[in-house]
Amino acid sequence: MSGRSRSNKQRTNNLVALGSAALLAVYSAGFVRTRAAAARFADEGAARRPSDLNVVSTAHAATPSNDKGARAAAPDVGVVDNTMAAPIARQGAPRAIDNVTASATTAKTPIGVVTRATAEKKSADMRATTPITAATTPVATTPAPAMPAPAAALAAPAAPAAPHTDTVVARAVAVAAAVVEPAPPAKEKVGYTDGTYYGWGTSRHGDIQAEVEIKNGRIVSASIAQCLTRYSCSWIAALPAQVLARQSADVDYVSGATQSTNAYYYAVVDALLKAK
Amino acid sequence: MGTVVTMQVVGHGMTAEQQRERTDAVTRAFSWFHHVEAVCSRFDAESELRQLLSHVGEAVAVSATLFHAVTFACAVADETGGAFDPTVGRRMELLGFNREYRTHAPIDTDCASTDVSYRDVILNQDAQTVTLARPLLLDLGAVAKGLAIDMAARELQPFENFAIDAGGDLYLGGHNTRDEPWSVGIRNPRDVGAMIETVHVTNSAVCTSGDYERRAPAASGGNARDSSHHLLDARRGESASALASVTVLAPSAMVADALATAAFALGPRDGVALLERHGVDALLLTPTLERFTVGNVRHG
Repeated sequence: MSGRSRSNKQRTNNLVALGSAALLAVYSAGFVRTRAAAARFADEGAARRPSDLNVVSTAHAATPSNDKGARAAAPDVGVVDNTMAAPIARQGAPRAIDNVTASATTAKTPIGVVTRATAEKKSADMRATTPITAATTPVATTPAPAMPAPAAALAAPAAPAAPHTDTVVARAVAVAAAVVEPAPPAKEKVGYTDGTYYGWGTSRHGDIQAEVEIKNGRIVSASIAQCLTRYSCSWIAALPAQVLARQSADVDYVSGATQSTNAYYYAVVDALLKAK
Repeated sequence: MGTVVTMQVVGHGMTAEQQRERTDAVTRAFSWFHHVEAVCSRFDAESELRQLLSHVGEAVAVSATLFHAVTFACAVADETGGAFDPTVGRRMELLGFNREYRTHAPIDTDCASTDVSYRDVILNQDAQTVTLARPLLLDLGAVAKGLAIDMAARELQPFENFAIDAGGDLYLGGHNTRDEPWSVGIRNPRDVGAMIETVHVTNSAVCTSGDYERRAPAASGGNARDSSHHLLDARRGESASALASVTVLAPSAMVADALATAAFALGPRDGVALLERHGVDALLLTPTLERFTVGNVRHG
């Protein structure tokens, strides 16, 4: 079934159309939040709470509740192309059938394959290829296997070649970015524009919307406008008062609710940014 | 347990800014998986989906994510005459699919009924509300993961060439590192590790529903049988058995996954008709590995 061309197919299928419309609606509703969330995960979170960012990063691959969850051990279909990455990170990965030469080696010696694959690509005068490795994060409370180090090691030797093709490692890169490129924490200075502002904060347990009211350049009221976290927001009920007292988003940690605390922190940062 | 999500972006820019862009996009993409899970999990007491059970008979304003996931699941249910039905949550629990995948804590939603159907879910498009006419537990397993994959795919779309693999349900954008369409192996449902077909796709989702994916754990309450798997024919209330696996190729993972599950529940004859009606490509395999193909899937 190569060269599939969908454009010339009859599109009388209402489920496909309904699905597309639904996806557009969901994405539109969530677009702003995810965009803002990524920036915060990468910047403020790294500087303010590095250990938490680690948690966030390793947990990024949580799955929607699904009765197919057990498929991880033996996927029914798999991307055959990224075999160089799969054996390193995954158990029970699908077998390689796309590139027989590479795949034969792959299953046994993953590192050798990366080298070999790179060499093959270069000799064939194709784009120089440096598979940095796969973004694989087991879903669970246990941390992901330590992938970043070998990934970086593999990536380094081939880097000099001009055009670069890489496989982004979600966890590895996210953590690395947090370490290498820490952005300064957001500083909230007193002296905001008067008004009532809302901001969203995202955590892996859900989102929180903060409301901050500014009068005469100062925060005169702070509250949790919406709490969409999986856990009760009563855990962090004390935080809005701290925002008021400190005139800043810099609230305390709440043991057992660090994710919600961070989400609220991000929400206040978001709101205060709008007040500048 | 739990699904491993792998994302691969084929990128060329090596500047710090370009790498940062890719990392940010992948972070955003993964955040969708968290969001969709927090909303749609039937195992999580705090999920928006389960909160509906506390408001039976009331029109509940829900998030866009939940509303559209439920709407789509009910549309598929309608298309299959109820063979696929997202209200089977309680029946799934009684079959033994009742453990949270991270904690393995058993869940017993005894307030939910089993003799319910998607017709007991009332949707108001204008107000974006969901009303459960009767106490029922929704199961969005066939829709939610696909939805998360599709959202992740949109985040990665600017990079054109990428792959998302969520436990074997895939979305493949553009081309692979060799600038060719992505190759995807479809496994033999009766031979673990063996491939039975290879397809080459670009900008397409590939999702499989198979009876080997998830078997009911050891009988919980004596209801689970050895032959039970997670794909129910909701009209009969038991695992569908005429097919061993259905692989669907569609423009989105939500559509591909839901149609694969629906076709599985319907069996080969009605399943093929459904898939043809909706213009997707598919490979259906029976327990004896008899093949049915829809659209442009070659005979092996």
